[in-house]
Amino acid sequence: MPVFPTLFPGTIWQTNVVVIATIFLTGLIVFVLLRLAVARMDMRHPRGLQNLVEWAFDFSESMAKDVMPSDDSRRFVRPLAFIMLLFLFVANWLGLIMTITVHFDPHLHIWGLGPSDLQNAKGDVELFDSPTSNMSMALGLAIMVWLISHARGLRHPIKWFRHLLRHPPFGLLEEITNPLTHGMRLFGNIFAGEILLGLLLRAPFAFHFIPWQLPFIIVWLLYSGFVATIQAYVFSILMCLYIGMKSFEVDSQH
Amino acid sequence: MFQVGGIFQVGTFIFSVISFLIVFFIIQRFAFKPLARMLEQRRIHIETQISEAEKNREEAERLLAEQQRLLEEARKEARNLLDQARIRADEQAREIVQKAEEEAARILEESRQAIVRERDEALAAVTKRVAELSVELTTKLLRDHVTAELHNDLVVEAENKLGELVC
Repeated sequence: MPVFPTLFPGTIWQTNVVVIATIFLTGLIVFVLLRLAVARMDMRHPRGLQNLVEWAFDFSESMAKDVMPSDDSRRFVRPLAFIMLLFLFVANWLGLIMTITVHFDPHLHIWGLGPSDLQNAKGDVELFDSPTSNMSMALGLAIMVWLISHARGLRHPIKWFRHLLRHPPFGLLEEITNPLTHGMRLFGNIFAGEILLGLLLRAPFAFHFIPWQLPFIIVWLLYSGFVATIQAYVFSILMCLYIGMKSFEVDSQH
Repeated sequence: MFQVGGIFQVGTFIFSVISFLIVFFIIQRFAFKPLARMLEQRRIHIETQISEAEKNREEAERLLAEQQRLLEEARKEARNLLDQARIRADEQAREIVQKAEEEAARILEESRQAIVRERDEALAAVTKRVAELSVELTTKLLRDHVTAELHNDLVVEAENKLGELVC
C-alpha cells in the first residue's frame, strides 16, 4: 500500500493532499476544455472540440431527461450531471495516463509521513493518481449526492416521509446502501484498475529480459479505460436517478 | 481510522467534497453557463433559420403559383385578342370585298345606263338627222309641191316611222 503526502497527520482532519490537488487539476482541465469550446464556438461550422462538448452536453441532457420526473428537477440537475460526467471522465483517466511514485529512505519525516508510515509502504510515496481511486473521495461524492437528494426531497416533507416508509424496512435500508454502493462502485473499479496496472508494471521480467507483462499491460490499460469511461457514466446516471427519486415536484403542465 | 494510509479518512472525505463543490461552482459559473447559453442561442438560431427557410419556401411556392396563374391569364388574353383580331380582319375583308363588289356593280350599272343613254341619244340624233335628210330629199324631189304645213307633217310622220323601225 503506497502512502500519500498528508495534511494534519494524526488528527481527525488528516487529509490526502494528492486527492485534493488532483480534484483541482481535474477541475482545471474540465474548465479549460469548456472555455476553449466556448471561445471556439462557431454557429455555422461546428467542428472538433465543439462537437465533442456538444455531444457531451446533449448526452447529459438526455440522461437527465430520461430519469428526472419534472422540468424543475431537470433544470436543477442539468449542470450537475454535465459537470459530474466530464469531471469523473477526466478524473478516472488521470490515473491511467500517469501515476507518479517517489521512493524515500524509510527513516525520514516528510510531508506529514513518519518513518512507520514509510516503512509500511516500503518507502513508496504516490504524488499523482486518480482522485476517484481514493475511497474517502468517492464516498464523499456519493454522500454529497445523497445529501443533495434528501435536501430536495425535504422540500415536500410528507411525500419524503411516505417515500422512506414505502417498503419498510427496505426503504430505510436503501438510504444507507445506495450511497455506499454508489461511492464504493466508483472507487472499487478505478482502484482495482490502478492497482493491477501498478503490479504489472512492477513485475520483474522473466529471465531478466523477456517483458512478458507487456501484452497484459496493454489489454488491462484498454479495459481500464473502458471501465473508467463507463464508471463516469454510471456514477452520473445513478446520481440523476437518486436525485430524481426524491424530487417530488409535479410538472405544472401535466 | 486516524492512521496515515488508513483506508477511510474523514479529513480527505470532507475536504474532497469541499474541493469538488468549489470546482463545481467555478465551472458552473464561468464555463457551463456561457456554454449552455451559447448552445441555447445556437438552437434558437437554427430553429429560426429553419422556420424562416420554410416560410420563404412557402412564399416562393405561392409566388411561383401566382406567376404561373398570371402567365396563363396573359396567354389566354393574348389568344383572345388574336382571335378577336382575326375575326375583325375577316369581317373587314368581307366588308371590303362586299363594298368593292357593290362599287363594281354600281359602276357597271352606271356605265350600262350611260351606254344606253348615249345610244339612245345617238339613235335619236341619227333618227332626227335621217328624218331631216329624208324630208329634205323629199322636198328636193317634190320641189314646190310641198307647203310648210305638209313639210312639218312629213317630218313628224318620218320620225315616228323611224322610231318604230329602230325600236
